[in-house]
Amino acid sequence: MLNIKNLQATIDNKHILKGLNLNIKPGEVHAIMGPNGSGKSTLANVLSGKNGYEIKGDIKYNGESLSELSTEERAQKGIFLAFQYPLEIPGVNTNNFLRTSLNSVRKAQGEKELDALTFLKLIKEKASELGIDEKFLSRQLNVGFSGGEKKKNEILQMKLLQPKLSILDETDSGLDIDALRIVADGVNSYKSKKNAFLIITHYQRLLDYIKPDYVHVLSDGKIIKTGNADLGIQLEKTGYSKIV
Amino acid sequence: MKENYDFKIDKIKDLSQEEINLRKKNLELFYQAGFPNKKDEDWKFSDLNSIISNNFNKIVNDDFLPTKTEFKNIEEFEHNYISLLNGKLISKDFSYEEKNKILIDNYNHKNELSLDSKNPLYFLNNALATGGYSLEILKNYKLKKPLVIYNNFSNSLKEKIVNYKNSIILNENSELNLINYINNSSKENFMVNTIEKIKIKKDSSLKNILVNNSKCNCYFYKYLNSDLEKNSTFENYLLPSGFKFNKLDIEINLNEENSNSSIFSALNLSNNEHQEIKTRINHNTPNCNSYQKVKNVLNDQSKGVYQGKIFVKNIAQKTDAYQLSKAIILNDAAEFDAKPELEIYADDVKCSHGSTSGSIDLDSIHYLKSRGISEKEAFQMLINGFLSETLEKLSEGKLKNFLIEKLKRQINGY
Repeated sequence: MLNIKNLQATIDNKHILKGLNLNIKPGEVHAIMGPNGSGKSTLANVLSGKNGYEIKGDIKYNGESLSELSTEERAQKGIFLAFQYPLEIPGVNTNNFLRTSLNSVRKAQGEKELDALTFLKLIKEKASELGIDEKFLSRQLNVGFSGGEKKKNEILQMKLLQPKLSILDETDSGLDIDALRIVADGVNSYKSKKNAFLIITHYQRLLDYIKPDYVHVLSDGKIIKTGNADLGIQLEKTGYSKIV
Repeated sequence: MKENYDFKIDKIKDLSQEEINLRKKNLELFYQAGFPNKKDEDWKFSDLNSIISNNFNKIVNDDFLPTKTEFKNIEEFEHNYISLLNGKLISKDFSYEEKNKILIDNYNHKNELSLDSKNPLYFLNNALATGGYSLEILKNYKLKKPLVIYNNFSNSLKEKIVNYKNSIILNENSELNLINYINNSSKENFMVNTIEKIKIKKDSSLKNILVNNSKCNCYFYKYLNSDLEKNSTFENYLLPSGFKFNKLDIEINLNEENSNSSIFSALNLSNNEHQEIKTRINHNTPNCNSYQKVKNVLNDQSKGVYQGKIFVKNIAQKTDAYQLSKAIILNDAAEFDAKPELEIYADDVKCSHGSTSGSIDLDSIHYLKSRGISEKEAFQMLINGFLSETLEKLSEGKLKNFLIEKLKRQINGY
């Protein structure tokens, strides 16, 4: 599904990713762990098509070169990024935003757009699965939401858009233990043979709830070690300094 | 020197000799000054004289006889209405109200000469005004439905100026929601010069909404002067996008205690449109509040101006006055000028002002795009969010939804 070869990324003359290789197949859960400044969020940004990066190397998504796709096209083709810091957007109603988003994706995929009523029924259902109070849907997007509420809102968007590849960027940060469980349940219930996850995290604790098939250690812009779920547990005990 | 205008009193019918003399005096005063230019401090960001000479060959007046032109009325909410065609009152409907509580008539133009004014457009209006209305709401009457003033302009106005005056009086303990709805079917250039006087008496409340319904090649000026008595409220919501040129010149006099006023303005400017909001809030007495929030989005080579003055008289203790102007500039060729002014002679007051302008937040754009939303739509959503915040204080309902939709249309194109 995703094949990254020798990916290099530079921003403001800072060389951040220095030859990263990664292959993800449908149905797999990959975790990328690494110390601060190793390039984890840069990887998420580059995959989502954020402007400002100078990129070398090759990223193929289902055989298509990612560099030729705009951010919105990537989303429409099933790449989803759960942001580390979801943006607060004043004046934009959460419910309207979610409907516009879903309908943009559906339209691009040749599906019928949902009318307001059908959508409302769907979103209420999805929200209640994640324990999100309905009244959040009528508020301004992420404005005044707590850290946990923002992260839950990201997972709600994931479940709504039904992406093929979900990238979770530090989704566990800012979550208390109950919110962490709800978010993890949300991810686990969405896992299937058809879709894949890339979980970017500093800590092991999210991986206690979402079991990865592969754990990669990112250091100084490169993956320096790959293992199974045990690698994450080992890292938690020894710290990054023993490995990097 | 070739003048860009040629105004004649004798085009106006049915005037007494006395009126003719008075109008001639006003016209003379206008001719002495000409259209205001940037040397005048009040017009330093909007040089009307050069705007007129760049866009008109020769602008003339006329005594506009109402010709039949069809305009669609608003269907989204139930309302009373007054219809003006080229400034002249042509029909009215107050079927939701007790008729003996509302007085409505043509504006009486006799005896208008304000030598104390420095504003040439005021003289011009005194000289040439032929239309407008007088509206009075009687004591203790609260209108059940909003009142829409249809300001319709026909397609026969090429190179013409329309002048009219309105007067609105809300007597004690009365209430009115007023919507100035501007509709026009002309693609040609024309000018509108309006003077409006509002009196809000004790315990009364007026919501004054302005919506422009279409893009037009109209050069619009409105001077609004309002007097507020004890415990009265005056709220303004302005959605004037679409004019080629517009200046709303608003003066609010808080003359008695516990009166409140607010101004919310949302503007999306494109091409070479030029709009100015100019306000002067006079706190003439203690314990009054005033609030202003002016938001502009500037595309292309457009220009936006906000001149906001708060004046606090020495006796006006416990004044609470606030003004904020925010602009998003989307093009290097666009310009926004803000001139906030506080003139305070009392010592126990709370006055603050702020002004920001900047580009759109690209991280927010990226966030929306990462959810499959196109760049164009992402911009529209952010701009709409930015501007529609000015309508937040209105209570939920059909009128608010109507305004939200109109604003959306002003942003996304007609």
